[in-house]
Amino acid sequence: MHISDGLLGAPVVIGGYAITGLTTWYSLRQINRQPEPTQGIPKASLLTAAFFVASSIHIPFPPTSLHLILNGLLGVVLGYYAFPAILIGLFFQAVMLGHGGLSTLGLNAAIVGIPALLIYHLFCWRSFIEKYFNKRVTTGIFAFLAGALGVALTVILFFGLVVSTLGTGEHADTERAATLGLVISHIPLMILEGIFTTFVVLFLQQAKPQLLEGNG
Amino acid sequence: MADKFALDKYADLDSLIHSWHPKYKILGISLLIFSFAFIQDISLIPVMLGITIIFYNISKLPLSFLFSRLHYPGLFLLGIIFLLPFMRGEDVIWQWSFIKLRQEGILLVLVIVCRFFSIFTLGLVMLGTTPFLTTIQAMRQLGLSGVIADMLILSYRYIYQIFVDFSQMQQAMQLRGYTTKKQSNRKYHISIFRHISVLAAVTASLLLRSYEQSERVYAAMRLRGYGDLTTSIVKPNMMNHKSAKNDLLSILALLGTLVVAVSLLLWEII
Repeated sequence: MHISDGLLGAPVVIGGYAITGLTTWYSLRQINRQPEPTQGIPKASLLTAAFFVASSIHIPFPPTSLHLILNGLLGVVLGYYAFPAILIGLFFQAVMLGHGGLSTLGLNAAIVGIPALLIYHLFCWRSFIEKYFNKRVTTGIFAFLAGALGVALTVILFFGLVVSTLGTGEHADTERAATLGLVISHIPLMILEGIFTTFVVLFLQQAKPQLLEGNG
Repeated sequence: MADKFALDKYADLDSLIHSWHPKYKILGISLLIFSFAFIQDISLIPVMLGITIIFYNISKLPLSFLFSRLHYPGLFLLGIIFLLPFMRGEDVIWQWSFIKLRQEGILLVLVIVCRFFSIFTLGLVMLGTTPFLTTIQAMRQLGLSGVIADMLILSYRYIYQIFVDFSQMQQAMQLRGYTTKKQSNRKYHISIFRHISVLAAVTASLLLRSYEQSERVYAAMRLRGYGDLTTSIVKPNMMNHKSAKNDLLSILALLGTLVVAVSLLLWEII
């Protein structure tokens, strides 16, 4: 789910960088407020590299295979480090693999990264619910929501932006219908990513619960 | 594996672009990239392609380096390229039943493809002609946050190692009979649910290994004095300056690209 170089005009591209700049500033401010901000840097960096590698995983989905976005999982595991991690991951994908682009890095980071930050906040709420329900079930439900909503928000932002920018604006109803259709066609991916995130989070909760504390 | 992803494997070549001061190179090429993003006028396409080709030629980077990274522009971009000529515009130049090929759509696709090629190539020239650490140091000089610079360096350093770990894990899975290929599904039919569960376990193991390694890395960094936000791994003043003459030429080159970028913008606006 990347916007390639050259696809959208400069005003949109610059707007993307402005939003990413603001979100990066907000994330870094939150990181700097932590008791030991540098402690999270090696963890966030190695996990960024691990997510970069894991994003190459394709899940067979006959007749094709699906490529995971993993932004929900990044939000859950890295907390405020998720946005810089996504920015760096997308930078590497653009320059090493040719996915996305340098001029559209701001847009892509905003589309993938802002949902990750929202998901982090959503996942934090699980600690309130856990008091009243089974801990493992609650974590599983929140993990599913994190994975599925992360993709859903990204898909909505992505297609909303592309269709509204490339469309002529003369057929607003058709463009809205096209966006809705494209979002609906991604529901299987949302469910798949939700299940995937649930498995990963439950595994981590059992093996290394510190990883789910949301500080990278 | 490392060679496949290495950005700076041709950073030691000798060319004018290689000797351009990294800080001014980043500024100059970024300006050009953004001026290219503004281009809508079809008459500017040859100029944009010409500038791109000149830059790539001067950089002496091999064409194989460009093509090895250009092979996958993305299915989405391909979809747009095939759909836009039929969906965008009023002037129909060819029609078969309800399918109409429109001139504006074709021209827009041409602009998108050429912008993609030019911006991607210039990005490669910018990052492929300087050692990665020097590029990050130059970015630090231009105001990049220490946290992001450290994360960039550490992630870049460990991507290769994690790729090796991941390849070994995949090999181990295959030796145990797991594969996503169709032929073997006849023998060992695996449901999608099972695929997800296996791949999620691999991902979780990869995250776990990386997390444990990061704790060791952090401990080692602490022993070397790393500990607060003022002690970034990447220091902006670490970069070597070749000479004052080189700096002057670099500034002149930056001014040259600035003139080109502003001219393109003015042409586009006027």
